[in-house]
Amino acid sequence: MKSLLKLKKMKSKAIFSLILNPFTRIAGWQAFGVGLMFVISTGIICTFSKVAFDGVIDMHLVKRLTLLQSFEFLAIDLISLVTIMTATGFIISKSFRIIDILGTMTLSRSPLLILAIAGYFTISPDINEIIKDPILVFQSVSFIIIILLSIPVTIWSIILMFNALKVSCGINGNKLGSAFIIALLVAEVISKILIFNFIRL
Amino acid sequence: MHYSNSFITFVKYNINIMLPTNCPSCHSQLKVKCLKCENCETEVSGLFDMPVLARLSFEDQQFIQHFVINSGSLKEMSSELKLSYPTVRNMLNEIITKIKKDEK
Repeated sequence: MKSLLKLKKMKSKAIFSLILNPFTRIAGWQAFGVGLMFVISTGIICTFSKVAFDGVIDMHLVKRLTLLQSFEFLAIDLISLVTIMTATGFIISKSFRIIDILGTMTLSRSPLLILAIAGYFTISPDINEIIKDPILVFQSVSFIIIILLSIPVTIWSIILMFNALKVSCGINGNKLGSAFIIALLVAEVISKILIFNFIRL
Repeated sequence: MHYSNSFITFVKYNINIMLPTNCPSCHSQLKVKCLKCENCETEVSGLFDMPVLARLSFEDQQFIQHFVINSGSLKEMSSELKLSYPTVRNMLNEIITKIKKDEK
């Protein structure tokens, strides 16, 4: 009985570590293929749920969103992320494959699908009304749920990005931590600049 | 040719009987004190350093064995071990670091 419990515990631990770091099993083209499927699904669902991922770690509910705009947002996010992480890889690592960065970073954006789906069931309060009376935010339960849900999902996605860089470049410790934080912030800023200049909502 | 054959046999032999590399009491590196010829029973006593590869952990030695068997192809190793390519490459890098550290 005790050993069965231990085995169950070990199994759940393995599943948990796989959720946070699937890149020990999957990377390169394979990860890129799977990740791309998630990104495309997210893009299509976002058109209906009106969820715009207007930044590497950003999400907003909008009034209007075309399929093209949805994919433009996701493409800019992914290109910014992959470019900056590749540049970081060149700085911190001696040897790595660009396809591993591309694949693992694409797959690390798969949790965003949850927010895209959740957005479909969310009734967003009018922004002008909220500005007048901020308490109105608390009247929409679905809006509060998506805000609360966005926190763990974003954290999960960031953990995946961190592990993607860690596995792809084979780097550990403080060097990895600080490089990742800087890279993520730079990628966020670049994606914001590109979105501001190229996409009109 | 002779060297590479004996090298593989050596690695295999060590993996099968799990040669201890560290002291069970203080975890310091163990040394070879005695060697014996199985044919004529001649014994050579002294204090010899263990070869670099024998000083690695059992898992690392097993990894090297797989690496040699797969002709040094990390791609083949990753599919055999059901791990991603960068993970296998990182494992190899760790062993290289250990060997380099040991050589110093």
